[in-house]
Amino acid sequence: METISILPPELIRMLIAVIIIISFLFLNAIMMGYLERKIAAHVQRRPGPMEVGFHGILQLIVDGVKLLGKELLIPFKVDRTLFRVAPLLSFTPVILPLLVIPFSEKLQARDLNLGLIFIVSMGSVNVMALLVAGWGSNNKYAMFGAMRAVAQSIAFEIPILLSMLAVVLMCNTFSLKEIVGAQEKIWFVFLQPLAFLIYVIAGVAETNRAPFDLPEAESELTAGFHTEYSGMGFSLFFIGEYTNMFIVASVAAVLFLGGWHGPHLPYGEYLGIVWFFLKVYFLLFLMIMIRWTYPRVRFDQLLNFAWKYLVPFSFVNILITAVLVKL
Amino acid sequence: MAQETTNFKQDILFHEFNATETDYNQRGYHLEVALEVNQVRKFAQKAYDQGFFLVFVTGFHVLPEETEEGTTSGLNGVYQFARFDRLYRIKGQVSVPEDMSLPSICDIYQGADWHERETRDLYGINFEGHPNLKPLLLSDEDTDFHPLLKEEKKLKSLEKVSWPPEALESVDADTDAKASSTDSIDS
Amino acid sequence: MLESDFQKKNRFFLNMGPQHPSTHGVLLIVLEMSGEYVLDPQPVLGFIHRMHEKMAESRPCQSFMPNTARMDYVCALPYNHGYVSLVERKAGIEVPRRAEYIRVITSELNRVASHLLWLGAYLLDLGAFTPILYGFDDREHILDILEDITGSRLTYCYYRFGGVNQDIDDKFVDSTRAFIKRLRKRFVIYEKLVTKNIIFIKRTENIGIVSPDMALRYGMTGPNLRGSGIAYDVRKNEPYSIYPEFDFEVPVGEQGDCLDRYMVRVREMEQSLRIIEQALDRLPEGPVRAKVPKNIKLSPGDCNFAVEAARGELSYYLVGDGTGVPYRLKVRVPSYSNLSCLPELGRGILLPDLVSILGSFDLVIPEMDR
Repeated sequence: METISILPPELIRMLIAVIIIISFLFLNAIMMGYLERKIAAHVQRRPGPMEVGFHGILQLIVDGVKLLGKELLIPFKVDRTLFRVAPLLSFTPVILPLLVIPFSEKLQARDLNLGLIFIVSMGSVNVMALLVAGWGSNNKYAMFGAMRAVAQSIAFEIPILLSMLAVVLMCNTFSLKEIVGAQEKIWFVFLQPLAFLIYVIAGVAETNRAPFDLPEAESELTAGFHTEYSGMGFSLFFIGEYTNMFIVASVAAVLFLGGWHGPHLPYGEYLGIVWFFLKVYFLLFLMIMIRWTYPRVRFDQLLNFAWKYLVPFSFVNILITAVLVKL
Repeated sequence: MAQETTNFKQDILFHEFNATETDYNQRGYHLEVALEVNQVRKFAQKAYDQGFFLVFVTGFHVLPEETEEGTTSGLNGVYQFARFDRLYRIKGQVSVPEDMSLPSICDIYQGADWHERETRDLYGINFEGHPNLKPLLLSDEDTDFHPLLKEEKKLKSLEKVSWPPEALESVDADTDAKASSTDSIDS
Repeated sequence: MLESDFQKKNRFFLNMGPQHPSTHGVLLIVLEMSGEYVLDPQPVLGFIHRMHEKMAESRPCQSFMPNTARMDYVCALPYNHGYVSLVERKAGIEVPRRAEYIRVITSELNRVASHLLWLGAYLLDLGAFTPILYGFDDREHILDILEDITGSRLTYCYYRFGGVNQDIDDKFVDSTRAFIKRLRKRFVIYEKLVTKNIIFIKRTENIGIVSPDMALRYGMTGPNLRGSGIAYDVRKNEPYSIYPEFDFEVPVGEQGDCLDRYMVRVREMEQSLRIIEQALDRLPEGPVRAKVPKNIKLSPGDCNFAVEAARGELSYYLVGDGTGVPYRLKVRVPSYSNLSCLPELGRGILLPDLVSILGSFDLVIPEMDR
């Protein structure tokens, strides 16, 4: 790295990256919120938000201000510490995976050689937050939501890991930059279609999105783990969910869709970010479309699906990959 | 449909009960059964055996009467049954004795459970043998408040709210029934 | 499986309602649970009990008309229909044929509106958001059509003893025909979006099976009963009004699970459209209101009238005493008997299945509480 510096250059680089990423997270949440409402509206044949700004483009900012102004209610007899810690716990770990994701060839905060493992481990912290929120809320519905979240997370982390491993086997590295680099000729989605499919399904489940949104299934559990949350507490969960979606989609773009690769652009080592974002938001668009089209699956059906289909198939996939790579 | 109904009537008359055929076009049901308290469960069992379903259980409140056995409570239990496969609707009516209790039929027709609880709410009829006779529509505090019991001065005797006996015999008697109805307004 | 020692020790109660998204109103169900398994669901009713039956005993029978629409506000016209027919039967009033046609057309439109709302709400219970807005979109057309002639959108008081309040016009006929054409096209969308959806089928098939015997013991009626394969429809079995003149089928299911109840309702909408079309084709000319005395006297004696409401058999039982005020009016509402099987049906099932069953019963709480 040819950075001019007085302080250790890595530190400055990280600090700048963290600031950019946090501001991006809020921007992403606002954009996703707007996209979700607009896409949902058009799926449902209605205009959606139209009042604030051009086609309601400022609606989410207004909503954000409203949420900030709301009182953070703490219900009677809750575990106060846990109740307050849970939203922060949900929000903080989701920042960190973005530090190792290569947005383009040069736009990456830090290229860890175990980047993939780092992302997966940080992703698992999120479920702790849901558990803490459900446990601390002193509400049976919240408790149900938390228990479902844990069971679901455990079930779906295995197929996610296994489908990632298939890619890792092919390029012999955990570094995300090198994985993207290996896809210059052909994207892994064409070599590993099964792994991609498994990853996307498990990813939707991992982010608790419909049709796998069991921890917050509102027709059964009112609002699941965040039943008791209001104001900023609620919106931190909300931002955490959108960021999680973004991470899942960007890991999919990195592992399977060739990251920053695309038709040549000037300053390609920086502007590759355009292709990267196009791919990520295409995946996010898909996730939103799925949410507004399908009913919710039942809890045992979901777990059966994970353990009986996704896990065996991803094992088979790894086996085939390993044999082919060895040959 | 009509012919089917007549054949059908020959098959299942409630012989052992005090049953009267009625004019459907006038009353909306085919058979009226006057029951004794000890016949209620037998009647329900018979209806169940013959494939009737329970339409409702309810009551109504009339002036208490003096009979040979003593004073009645003035309450009447009403049971209505109908069939899924044919047009046949029957009504059973029973006078509730002074101890305000009727036998429960909710082990024969599980659906009677809620109807009996409701009737207890509204009239205070105690259904003996009901496993769970808690207030259903009214709240727990109103256990002793029965809104459909009428005030004394509004009560009418059972004859005044029943079809006149001649109306049972033919449709032509309908005009008489109307004539007698005008009399009862003045009283 | 449910009787293990662990589960016996770890039972707890969950109050589902009175404010809960999938009880569709103020219904409370006290669930005794073990984990996610429901061991004993006990519905608690009466949160919006208004004692309509007492109100009926304290006012002339005309004044009770608006109350009938406030029991089942989703499908109010059949409630009007049952009540006016009851009083007409009791007082021996003849209704002009045109009025009966108008009653049938509007009642069936209302039934379609009710089923459309149910379709959306049921899918919402299962976690799909989109169908409810599609359903509302179509239902809105019906409400507009009905608003033009009845003057209200939800709690109609349109029928009168001896006829209807006002005649329908050409605009009504045209817009109804246009709506039928539109809805037939929309059924294709519903089928693609919902009926063929694999997750929907997995959530409803073999869930909440109501056997014919169980339906009989609890007195279930309407689509919930027909889902179990019994073709009992008051319009066919106990013909009233001018229904015998129309050609329509009574759709039935096979095994009585949630999917069958869904399919029965969807197919029933098509049958209702057929009835409306036939009625519009044959609509006779003439008066829409017979001459009736201002104060109708209810002769002594009891009288029963049953109609098919959107949720099943609605039966009015009236005891007259010779005055214009009913001595006793009992309203037998379908949802009440339909829901009463829940404690038996909901034993040992998962919480999401309970939500699915509740939704498939098409409950309207004000109707049950009266």
